[in-house]
Amino acid sequence: MIRTIIVDDEPLARDVLREYLAADEDIDIVAECANGFEAVKAVAEHDPDLLLLDIQMPKLDGFEVLELLDRSPVVVFVTAHDEYALRAFEVHALDYLLKPFSHERLRAVLERVKQQTGREHTPVAGLAASLRAKPLQRIVVKHDDGTIQVIPLARIDYVEADDDAIVIHTAGTTLRKQQPIGDLARELDPDRFVRVHRSVLLNIERIEKIELYAKDSRVAILRDGTRVPVSRTGYARLRELL
Amino acid sequence: MRRGELALYAIGALTAAALASSVFLLSTKGISATVAIAAAFPPSLLLGCIGLASHYLCRAMPIQSSSRGSIAASVVGSAAAASGLWVLTWKSWIAILDRRLAPDYTLLFGLGVLLYVATVAVQYLVLEIDISREAEEAALRYRVLAREAELRAFKAQVDPHFLFNSLNAVASLCGSRPNDARQMAQHLADFFRLILRLGALERITLAEELDLVTRYLAIEKVRFGDRLKTRIDVDDAAGQCLVPPLLLQPLVENAVRHGVASMVEGGTIDIEATLRDGMLRILIDNPADPDRADHRGEGIGLQNARGRLHTVSEGRAVMNAAETEGRFRVSIELPR
Repeated sequence: MIRTIIVDDEPLARDVLREYLAADEDIDIVAECANGFEAVKAVAEHDPDLLLLDIQMPKLDGFEVLELLDRSPVVVFVTAHDEYALRAFEVHALDYLLKPFSHERLRAVLERVKQQTGREHTPVAGLAASLRAKPLQRIVVKHDDGTIQVIPLARIDYVEADDDAIVIHTAGTTLRKQQPIGDLARELDPDRFVRVHRSVLLNIERIEKIELYAKDSRVAILRDGTRVPVSRTGYARLRELL
Repeated sequence: MRRGELALYAIGALTAAALASSVFLLSTKGISATVAIAAAFPPSLLLGCIGLASHYLCRAMPIQSSSRGSIAASVVGSAAAASGLWVLTWKSWIAILDRRLAPDYTLLFGLGVLLYVATVAVQYLVLEIDISREAEEAALRYRVLAREAELRAFKAQVDPHFLFNSLNAVASLCGSRPNDARQMAQHLADFFRLILRLGALERITLAEELDLVTRYLAIEKVRFGDRLKTRIDVDDAAGQCLVPPLLLQPLVENAVRHGVASMVEGGTIDIEATLRDGMLRILIDNPADPDRADHRGEGIGLQNARGRLHTVSEGRAVMNAAETEGRFRVSIELPR
């Protein structure tokens, strides 16, 4: 049996998937989710073989769901229209269904899925970044207790590297996430967040002024008075932007 | 034809005309054609060049914007001057050549004036043709631009996600509730027809715009189910006010796409319109997740609405958009 989870915020979109899937004896629908939070929870709980995943959803979009998954089911995106994403799917040989889709198309996708299940396949979590067509808009963090936190970029003052993790600073509070700072830097809009130091990504809207600290090293003073180190290359990047 | 080529033709034509007529004049005195041509050629060429210079006179005094008197005065003046020069050239040339060839200078002067005035008339004609052709081209360009703008507006109104998701809903209903599927298809057809019809108009009543909005919301309600609720409260007087078409529809679409759709539990879109003291006030209020991904700056929909309001009201309308405590609110004040 292929244990399957359907994720879509529109009830009718779930209905048609359920209806078509019911015709396939190998498919066992173990959960249906209406948003990204539910999806992450359901995957942790049911450890499915197959995830049929919508992209535009409240709370977490499909890519953010991928990023937060600990396990790697086969993922098939079910989406209305997104040229860029489709190209990315093709590059990574991921299957997708374009809404509205025919029963035949779903059957063909399921055939391929059946060949993949039971076999080792690449974990999907790392793909999220390359599937996203535009720069990251917010950072999602999953805590040890399973709760998920969403931080819009506008709320972030700066991000600091700490070994293989990042520490996100937002208005006096900090949040830790397991992710190399270089990976995050690649996903952020380079006009908004600047790598001012090897270990610091700074929201340039927060900069109050930049002072010379010692020979060849500077310090950025943020609106709230926080001092953040700025390296020579970091300063050059800032000057280019400002 | 290029401008230089045209000038050469003009000089050629005028020179030929001057040459032909003066040769005829000389031949009446029994002078042989070869000698007459040799005598008449230099002055004729000079008149041809002077005639070309009249182009600048025609440009400087466009026929539509200059008074008849001033055109007549300058044409007569420059014709006399040009013809005087032409007669003078004749005289000096004849003096060098052979005094027995001397033509009737009064007649020659009249001929010069005539040729010059004819040239000016032709110049004006050509200029007029140019102007009307340019005007025609400009009108055509404008029509093409207007058509493009219409299409762009239409495309902006209709989010492809909306269309494909709605079709997916129709496909889904076909299996379980065929009658609802038919109704949804009907809703979609009505909505698209209405958007095409209203979009082509200059102004429509607020009631008509809200009819479109209601049809749009009916479709979205099928998709979102219980998550989407709406409340529309509009004064009769406000409903009769004229507004630019498709002003509210994109704003309501925003309220669904970025508002209610971003909420797990959904919410209510509130639309209110009142007319008081000659001021039409419209309010669109919806819940929105402050942490949603597309939360940044003013979207294209809002900017378009603001721009159009500004244009139709000549800057007197006010539009405000603000987000507080999880609710997004757009208010419009439009003087009647």
